[in-house]
Parts: sequence; structure tokens; C-alpha cells
Amino acid sequence: MSTNVPVIDAHPTISEPPKNYLNCSRGFMSWAGTLDHKRIGIMYLIGVSAAFLAGGVFALLVRLHLWEPHGMLFTNETYNQIFTLHGAFMVFIFVIPAIPGSLGNMVLPLMLGAKDVALPRLNLLSFYLWCGGTLLATLAIVLGGFDTGWTFYAPYSLYTDQAVVSIGLGIFLLGFSSIFTGLNFIVTTHKLRAPGLTWFRMPLFVWAIYATAILQVLATPVLGITVLLVAFERLYNIGIFDPRLGGDPVLFEHFFWFYSHPAVYIMVLPAFGIISELVTVHSRKPLFGYKLMAFSALAIAIISFLVWGHHMFTSGQSTFAMFAFSFLTFFVAIPTAIKEFSWVATIWKGSIALNSPMLYTLAFLIIFAIGGLTGVILGALNVDLHLHDTYFVVAHFHYVMMGSIALAFFAGLHHWWPKMFGIMYDETLAKIACALIFIGFNATFIPQFIMGSQGMPRRYATYVPEFEGYHHASTIGAVILGSGVALMVYYLLASLLIRKPAMQNQWGGVTLDWLTPTPPPLENFATPPSVTTEVYDYSTLDYESLRTPVR
Amino acid sequence: MFAQLIQDPAKINYVENPAKPPEIDAWGQLPKLASTFDHVDGLFYFTYIVCIFFFVVILGALLFSVVKYRRKTWDQPAASNVTHNTPLEVVWTIVPLIIVMIMFAWGFKGCMDMTVVPEAASRNTYKATAKQWNWTFTYPNHATPSFNEVWIEVNKPVQFLCESTDVLHAFFIPVMRVKRDIVPGRFQSVWFHPIEIGEFHLFCAEYCGDDHSRMYAKVHVVSAEEFATAPWDKWDDTTPALAAKSGESLYKNLCQTCHSVNGTPAVGPTWKGLFTKQGDTFVGRQREVIEGGAKKTITVDEAYITESVRKPDQKKVAESPYDKNNMTAFPDLDERRIKGLIEYMKSLAAAQ
Repeated sequence: MSTNVPVIDAHPTISEPPKNYLNCSRGFMSWAGTLDHKRIGIMYLIGVSAAFLAGGVFALLVRLHLWEPHGMLFTNETYNQIFTLHGAFMVFIFVIPAIPGSLGNMVLPLMLGAKDVALPRLNLLSFYLWCGGTLLATLAIVLGGFDTGWTFYAPYSLYTDQAVVSIGLGIFLLGFSSIFTGLNFIVTTHKLRAPGLTWFRMPLFVWAIYATAILQVLATPVLGITVLLVAFERLYNIGIFDPRLGGDPVLFEHFFWFYSHPAVYIMVLPAFGIISELVTVHSRKPLFGYKLMAFSALAIAIISFLVWGHHMFTSGQSTFAMFAFSFLTFFVAIPTAIKEFSWVATIWKGSIALNSPMLYTLAFLIIFAIGGLTGVILGALNVDLHLHDTYFVVAHFHYVMMGSIALAFFAGLHHWWPKMFGIMYDETLAKIACALIFIGFNATFIPQFIMGSQGMPRRYATYVPEFEGYHHASTIGAVILGSGVALMVYYLLASLLIRKPAMQNQWGGVTLDWLTPTPPPLENFATPPSVTTEVYDYSTLDYESLRTPVR
Repeated sequence: MFAQLIQDPAKINYVENPAKPPEIDAWGQLPKLASTFDHVDGLFYFTYIVCIFFFVVILGALLFSVVKYRRKTWDQPAASNVTHNTPLEVVWTIVPLIIVMIMFAWGFKGCMDMTVVPEAASRNTYKATAKQWNWTFTYPNHATPSFNEVWIEVNKPVQFLCESTDVLHAFFIPVMRVKRDIVPGRFQSVWFHPIEIGEFHLFCAEYCGDDHSRMYAKVHVVSAEEFATAPWDKWDDTTPALAAKSGESLYKNLCQTCHSVNGTPAVGPTWKGLFTKQGDTFVGRQREVIEGGAKKTITVDEAYITESVRKPDQKKVAESPYDKNNMTAFPDLDERRIKGLIEYMKSLAAAQ
């Protein structure tokens, strides 16, 4: 554990700290106009964190309102707007861009041994598109809000008198931000690998970001077209989805889920990548079944294009479609199971450090097991007919989206925080926050599994009284979860003021990202690195770097 | 501005008098009340057990490793440097594959049984019309429909043909394990075979706007003898007072979602003050309405109210937001019931 490391100050003389990407230039424009992938990563980090906190406040309002069966706080219309805002902010503005935008930008070029991403200007553009999309979404709140749910199902989204066009255009811009990021990472992975860094020597985080990028580029345009069609339909009544004009609302569902199912994997694959990195570094052991892990990331990416119909088992699609989509859905379970088993096998007989990134990783492994297994329950056709659109589904996707993806994001943030800033946060507080988040999260969503299987429908502003006890448990859990997140925000921000120096190689990683100075200089590597060993070979670990503090 | 966002505590915002909660079994699951449940619950318990088994295996391996292989000194290397084990990887690919294929085949078989309507159910077909935010049920061989309540006979398979007149809704009776999205412009069918007498929830499960959560209907499963008396067709209007009472219960069932009787603003205009009592007669109030784009003043009377129930868009109240909000039409509501509602409106004036 890091606290046991005897500190040897290798540079006792006081001198100017070396130039790195943080202190090489100053001023607002040196950040706003930067082409450096690390600075863009930090700007993304600030942006997506703000979106996460906003979405979290909406979530807490939803949970507080549901304390009483007739709804404690809001009118039904306001409640509907708040759960829609929670969903839209969390999905489109936080989860989709969070890991690729912040940690992907920060770490991917470092792991590849590159100076920057292949297309730095496009990288900055995609950040500003993200800002534009977020601005339009926020504008939609000012214009009166939107109450369609984050899924925008037609025809309700066509008839409601709210700011659907503004949020639609916001999502259109966010989509392009995502496409450009994906394009950039594909080119970077193909073109900028260091000499000797063959495909099967790449860290799994790179594989995961690469598989994600393929999905982003291929699936997101469909979402863009769909929201544009909804906007045209509202403005010009063209009659594609509106049954009153001869349109088909189920067509909207097909279009929407053709993107939004792969989007689930756009969100979760980078999380898998982070966890793959962290289990090996903090167990100091090569990743178990590396090749099968890499192929399963690609398999998930490909199969995820063919399962969108499982969101529509109750919508009256043809029996043949139900057959095919259920069959293919079960296939996604296989590469996902392989990943979970391989992570556990990596930890087995490792040298396991129970520091905060690893605690977040262990929390992920437990929560993702539940999230994945309940997905199998929902994949079974007739069981889904009962559970569809109930709190069971809500709990399942929160186990994946919040419990797995957000926790992996936190794990990655704690893991690379010392690399990004050269400073350490308070480890004790970090462990307490992790425990609060883990307990609070499970207390929030386990009651929702039970309620859902008893028939509590989702998106209800009020409910029949027998569910009150479960809603109480869930709301208490949400408050615990919220306090854990608040504590995390506190100690991370405090670490920027306290400035306790981190070690050059805080956790003992052997991938290229840990072999540059900490924090990295402007163009990452003083001399272009070359790779001669297999990936995750801990016999090459330079233990001296674990106790050399950052200057 | 905020007053419109925050709930008015006086507004009754929940379903009044819902069915009693069903009993829950030791697994935390709903009771078996329809013969269709076996298709769902058998597989549900199977997947449940398989999932718990895998979860325990994963959790056990994880906790064991963390306890046994915890790093004790900062420079401790791993106990093993194994990178892969092909037989093990093949096993944990093939075994889950076999298990999920069993789940798939079982699920598909059950789904076919649940969606293919048997002959007996199709001979007992109801129509369920979903609108924002209420349900209308029409019975086989009976002219009178019922609203937000439906009576079905026990031990007799039943089919519901569902249609929507506006947006997406979904027909969901948890204890019967049936759910179907209702897509405007299509008929969607569900069937089940109730085997126990009782009152059960029917929810709208697909988000449909403001009062989605109050789009509730009560399902009465009754004996053949009770069903033969057509309980939904009881309407006592022998005296004006009894008609007003019948009207009040219909109001609570159907109209309360959008209209208050105490002046509280809601989706539709309040019923307070529609009539005033002068001596022994009731006089309708004057009201500004928009008809065919033109504003005019009318007196509230029986003809106006009847028209407003059956063709609500004909004369719209010229006052924001009621000039924008659309009311669902109830062309099926018969004369006697509309009379009962009017008697109820008049009784509101009498009570003042």
C-alpha cells in the first residue's frame, strides 16, 4: 500500500520544478485554444463532472419526491421534467462522453507513446461541440423544460408543448462531438503507436477505447438523423412518426434503439477498459486471458448492433423479430461473462493493494456482476414481458450505468489523478467515500429490483401505497450515495489546494503512461519510446519509481 | 413561477381507492393468479437461481483473493504470473453459452404461449381504449361500457383488444403477467386466464405525459353468477339525489384527473360554480367560449355540458390554459350518465 512506502527524496536541492503540460503556459487562451490532448482531457473532466453533479441533483429531487405515494414536492408535470432532465443529462452529457472525453483523451496517447492524438484540432472542435450541445440542453430548461423522457418516444414527443426542438438540436451537436472523438481515436490507434507496440501489446484500455470509437462512428449518425426527423416533424408536420399523418411511432423506436443500444456499449466498453487496467496494476499481475479479452471487446461492439429490438419486446413487433433479437441478446452475455471471469482470475494469486482505486474496482466487479446477471433475466422473452417498463429495468440499467460505468470512471479518476496533477488526494477520505457510494448505491437500487418484479411501473410521479416502504429505502440509499459523491468532490478539490506530492509511478504501472515523467511534459515523451516487452510484464517494474516523489 | 412547479397540497394527486395489494410470496414475488403465470415464473425462478449461483461464485472468488493475496509489503510481487489458461477459458465460454441457450428456448416457448391467443379467449373479447389518462372498456355482447374499472369472469380465458386514440400507452396487469404496448393506429391484443376472484391493479406502463402515473384501472375478477348481473351497468337515478351520487362516483373515477370541484386549477376548468341555486331552480353561469375561432358568451346548460363531454373541442373555454388544453372525447357515455354528472354539478351548488 502506498502509505507503507518509505519515501526517499531523490532530489534534495530546491530548484525550479520541471516544465510539464500544466505549467508550460498560462492564461485563459492557453487553455481555451489548446491543442494538447491532456489539457482538452482536463476541460472535458471539468465539464462532464459538472454535468454529473447536475444530473445527480435531479436524481435526488426525483427520489425525495417519491418519498410519499402521492408525490411530496412537485406537480406531475414538473416531476416528469425532472426525471427527463436527469436521464438526458446523465446519458447524453455525462456517461457517453465522460470516459473517452476525459480519461481517454488524457491517457490514450500516453499509452500509445504518441505526442498527441492524430487530429488535435478536431479534438478541440469536438470539445466545443460538446459545450454547444450542453448549452442547448440547458437552454431547453430555460425555455420551459421538456417532459418526454430521455427516449423521446413519438408521438408524445411530437405533441407535447415543450422545448423538444432545442434539446433535440443539443443532442445532434453532442452526437457530432462523439463521432469526432471516435474518429480521432481510431486514426490515433492505427497511426501513432510507438515502434514495437504491436496490436497485441496494446493495453486493454486502448482496445476498449478503439472498440468504442468504432461504435461511435457507425451508430451515432442514426441518432442525429432521428432527432432531426423529430424536429422536422414538430416544425413542418412531415408525417414520418405521427400516426395522425400516416406515420409509424414504432419506426421511431427502431431508429432510436438502433443507436441507443450500441450507445450502452459506447458507455460501458471504456469502463471495461479502465477496470482491465486497474485490476492488473493493483494486483501487479498480467491480465488473465489478454487476447480473449481484446476479442471480446470487439465481439461486444459487433453484436451490440444486432440486439436493439430487445427494448421493444412488448411493442408488438413480429414473432420472428422477437426470436432473433432475444437469441442475439443472449450472445452478448458470453463476451461479457468472459470479461468478468477474467478480471476475477487476474486478481487471483495477485499482489492485491487495497488502495482507493482498487476499492472502486472491487465495488465495480460486484455491482457489474449484478447488473450483468439481471440483464440475462431481462433477455428471456416471456420474463421480459412482465418486467419491461418496471422498476426492475430501472434498477438493472442503473446497476450498469451508474453502478458500473460511473464507478469505473471514479476508479479511473482516482488511478490517474496523481498522473494528471502530480498530487495525491486523502486516501482515508477516499476509502470512506467509496464505502458510502457502494452502500448507498445498493440501498437505492436493490429495493427497486423487488418493487419492479412486483409490478411498480417506471416514470411514475405517484404510486399505489403498497410500494411506499421500498421507496423509503430507496430514497435513504440515494441520500447516502449523494453524501459519498459530495465527499469525493470535496477531497479531490481539496487535494488541489493541499498539493501533497504523488510518486512518479504512484501505483506501479508498467504501461507507457506510467513511464513518462509525472505530470507529463507538453509532448509526453522526451525521446520517442519504443516497446520491447509484452504488455503487463511486471518483471520490468522499476520499484524505485514507486518511491520517487514528484517535484 | 415556482407556484406552478411545486405541488399544491390540496390537490389530490393519487389514485383514489386502488385495489388491495396482492400478497407477496417468500421470494418477494407476486402470487399466481392467472394460468399464464407459469410461463413466466418458472423461467424467472430458473434464471434467478442461475444468477444467484454465478454471483456467489464471483463474489466468493473475489473476497477469497482479496483476503488471501492482500499485498503485505509495498514491493511484494504477485504470487503467480500466469497469463492465461486455455481449457479454463473454453469452459467459461461454453458453459454460459449452454445455459443462456436454455433460457432463450424456454423464454421463446413461453412467449409464444403468452402471445398466441387461444380460441376460447378470442370468443371472449373485450375492447380496451386508452386515452390520456383513462381507460374505457367495452364488453362482448353488452352495450354499456365501463370507465377505469373492468369486470371479468373467473376461469374464463379473456382477450383484450387494445387501442389508443392519442399517444403510446401500455396495458399491464402485474398479477396476470401481461403487458402490451398500445400503439396509436393499431390494435394490439393480450390474453390471460384468471383463476382467482379478487380486485387487481391495471397500470399504464408506457410513459404518456402528465398524469401517466394516475392512468389506473381496477380489474374485478368475479364469479359467473355475479358477472351475469353486469355490475358495471348499475346506475341508480331513481331520484335526483341518487343520480347525483352515481354521478359523483363516476366523477371520481373518470373526471377528477383533470377537473376539480373546489376551484383548484388543474388541466381542465373547475366544476365549482357551474350552477348556482336560486330558490328551487339551478341557473347555469355565463361563460366565454371559443367556437369555430370566434369568441362568444353562452349560458351553461345541459346541452352545453352534453356537447362538451362528447365533442369537447366544439366550444372551448376562452381562458388560459383551457383554450390550449385538449380534453379527451367520450362519445360512448350515455345520456343517463351525463345526466348523473349534471346532477352532481348541481349538487355542488346546493351544498354551498
